[in-house]
Amino acid sequence: MNGNHHSNDRPAWINQANQVLDDSVRDLDAATLSRLNRARQTALAQQLPRAPRAWLLPAGLASACALLLAVAVWQPHHRTETPPTTPIATVDDGDGEDTSAEFYQNLEFYAWLDAQNKGGDG
Amino acid sequence: MAEIAGTMTGSQLEFARRVDATSTNQRALDQFLRGVERRALRMAELACGSRDDALDVVQDAMCAFVRNYAAKPEADWAPLFHRVLDSRLNDFHRRRSVRNRWLAVFERKSEDDDALDPIEQAQDTQDPGPLLRLAGSEAGKALDAALKTLPLRQRQAFLLRMWEGFDVATTARVMQCSEGSVKTHLSRALAALRRALEDHQ
Repeated sequence: MNGNHHSNDRPAWINQANQVLDDSVRDLDAATLSRLNRARQTALAQQLPRAPRAWLLPAGLASACALLLAVAVWQPHHRTETPPTTPIATVDDGDGEDTSAEFYQNLEFYAWLDAQNKGGDG
Repeated sequence: MAEIAGTMTGSQLEFARRVDATSTNQRALDQFLRGVERRALRMAELACGSRDDALDVVQDAMCAFVRNYAAKPEADWAPLFHRVLDSRLNDFHRRRSVRNRWLAVFERKSEDDDALDPIEQAQDTQDPGPLLRLAGSEAGKALDAALKTLPLRQRQAFLLRMWEGFDVATTARVMQCSEGSVKTHLSRALAALRRALEDHQ
């Protein structure tokens, strides 16, 4: 690079142009040189290796465990099991009449009523 | 020192080795960038038209170069750096063209390749030429003005080929175009510069 920019096999005005260009970069003002220096340092800083951070792995694992635990324990939407809504079946009790399944569902009520009646009698 | 090394873990030793290698590479990179930064700034300034924009472009090019090519052999650094810079200048030019599209219409010129060697096409080398007839800072101003009127690709071809001293093949790699295109751009640049400098007198 820059090895042959003042060559004899070129027109003289090109060599002169190169000389003019060389002169133009020789005397830069201090502010420009300072900014060039900053630009160079900024670029070089990108290449510096970063120290391995030994605490990163355990910290990450601990955070993951804590998150997992939190998700397992805290369940914001507690599901309430709703019984399947089955169509009310009719039961044939053999006497030719259809008995509603409601009767069987209310057995507890009838048992309680029966107990009340017996209590009243006794 | 051996005790210190003995207490270091494998990753720390690896890190120390990387630091050592990087500091060696950094010195070489620093030296290289110091060597090219002023010329790069001049090229960028001619392309951008303002020193502030040029400094931004050069910094951007330096960062991209270090990020992507610092590990390449040192012999390849110059063309690679100029390739990055050329790419950044193209981006800058494209953005500005989009911003000022109505102005860009007047700047566009058709481009077609012909395989003329500009050196062979150049006129008599004994002719003092237009610049020699201009004195001192006058010559600088004339050349500056003439270079600024050149289209980006022609100016880059001239600066890379004539000022930086890259050969045609390397200039083509830097500008990411064919060698024929480099010759065409350079031929037109030389003709335009000569004409502009003649007119300046």
